[in-house]
Amino acid sequence: MNNLTLTFTANDFMLMLQGAGITFVLTIVSGFFGSLIGFIIGWGRSLGLWWLYYLLGLFIEVVRSVPLIIQFVLFNSFLAIAGYPIDPFTSGIITLSIYIAAYVAEVVKAGIDAVPPTMVKAARGLGMSYFQCFRFVVVPIGTRSVLPSWTGLMLGLMKDTSLIAVLGASPPELLRSSQIIITRIQEPLAILIGAGAFYFIMCHFITVAVQRYETSWASKGKVTA
Amino acid sequence: MIKIEGVRKSFGALEVLKGIDLTVERGEVLCLIGGSGSGKSTLLMCINALEGIDAGRVEVDGIDVHAPQTEKNKLRQKMGIVFQQFNAFPHLTARDNVALAPRRVLGQNKVETLELAEHHLAHVGLGDKLDHFPSELSGGQQQRLAIARALAMKPDYMLLDEVTSALDPELVGEVLDTLRLLAEEGITMIAVTHEIPFAREVADRVAFFHQGVIHEVGPAKSLISNPQMERTQEFLGKIL
Ligand SMILES: Nc1ncnc2c1ncn2[C@@H]1O[C@H](COP(=O)(O)OP(=O)(O)O)[C@@H](O)[C@H]1O
Ligand SMILES: [Mg+2]
Repeated sequence: MNNLTLTFTANDFMLMLQGAGITFVLTIVSGFFGSLIGFIIGWGRSLGLWWLYYLLGLFIEVVRSVPLIIQFVLFNSFLAIAGYPIDPFTSGIITLSIYIAAYVAEVVKAGIDAVPPTMVKAARGLGMSYFQCFRFVVVPIGTRSVLPSWTGLMLGLMKDTSLIAVLGASPPELLRSSQIIITRIQEPLAILIGAGAFYFIMCHFITVAVQRYETSWASKGKVTA
Repeated sequence: MIKIEGVRKSFGALEVLKGIDLTVERGEVLCLIGGSGSGKSTLLMCINALEGIDAGRVEVDGIDVHAPQTEKNKLRQKMGIVFQQFNAFPHLTARDNVALAPRRVLGQNKVETLELAEHHLAHVGLGDKLDHFPSELSGGQQQRLAIARALAMKPDYMLLDEVTSALDPELVGEVLDTLRLLAEEGITMIAVTHEIPFAREVADRVAFFHQGVIHEVGPAKSLISNPQMERTQEFLGKIL
């Protein structure tokens, strides 16, 4: 039985591989929803409505100040108390999405601000509506200027997913599964190096994917503004 | 025809336009001259409603530009505007820069707009730069691209705000040549410029702006060679 052996087994490897898969899925799903929500928040803050600007700013500040681990527990307990307990993965993904959305919102705002006002005026001057200008000028230019920051957020998010362990989510993600194995075989160094390698491979995958996308714009279309 | 009547405009406590009256006929070329900060750029943007006004009225072909019910996006389609900063869209090739608005605003089909873009780029002498990105173009070329982009919307009017001011001296000529071409084609233009010899040669009339009012307006040649007002004389004396 795997639980009784004191050496690293094929099952341990499978546990870590499964953990890596869970980490990756958590990152992709909450990264997707977080970016979507963050985009809407960042856009909302760019509208020039002062009350909306400060309201969303307050949200961002709260989410960024409270440690993620506390948010996990609070949100999960809140749902339980409210009488709508959901499984730890769902509640974790919601928490992670909202958490990363606050950071994405700031990046989105920076991207929108990176587009010079006269560029917007030139677009509007051609007869483009607010939305046409936003869609065809502001978004592409802004995206190019903040994509590296956004990628950084996603890599950070991947490491933050490990905190979902406080909810007792099972099967465990990568870090938790490594800890389980370490506790049994008492080989922290080797296992942690292995886990680090898994994290590295997944981060590298994201970085390369973004770089591919960046080069598809043609290096010449680079934005210096 | 553009008719400006008693236009006032403030930014906060600063009154930038203090009652502007000006009429520009179809086919006319009007140059606006005057010191920096006198409100020339603001006036241009009030004409196509990129800025609102506080009082007065701007009429373009009989349409009250600032009336709430006016479709401003539609109105701007027939008024090209080009700025001192070239504002070429950096993520698009020259061809796509020009094709964007006809495609998305006028809803023309893609092939049609690409051909249109090629035509207009050739017109301003950029026929060999179709696939170049703005970062690969010189300032003069970027500014001609901006002009071609505005022309692709087939505007009846062009508003030009110091389009040569950000250019190296050796590149000013090529852009002025492009403007001469437009003037010859009879497109109505309001051009803010510091190129006095150009204004004298190309403009029908010149208006001298000073601290938010039009101090003097008249036929280009006579106003420039023989200004009546002291402030105009002073300004022209400094710049010429
Ligand atoms: N968006 C703005 N907000 C506040 N002040 C502005 C704005 N645009 C222009 N101004 C001010 O209005 C004055 C006139 O500006 P402008 O029309 O650009 O003058 P000009 O084009 O003749 O140099 C300047 O003092 C300028 O600082
Ligand atoms: Mg100006």
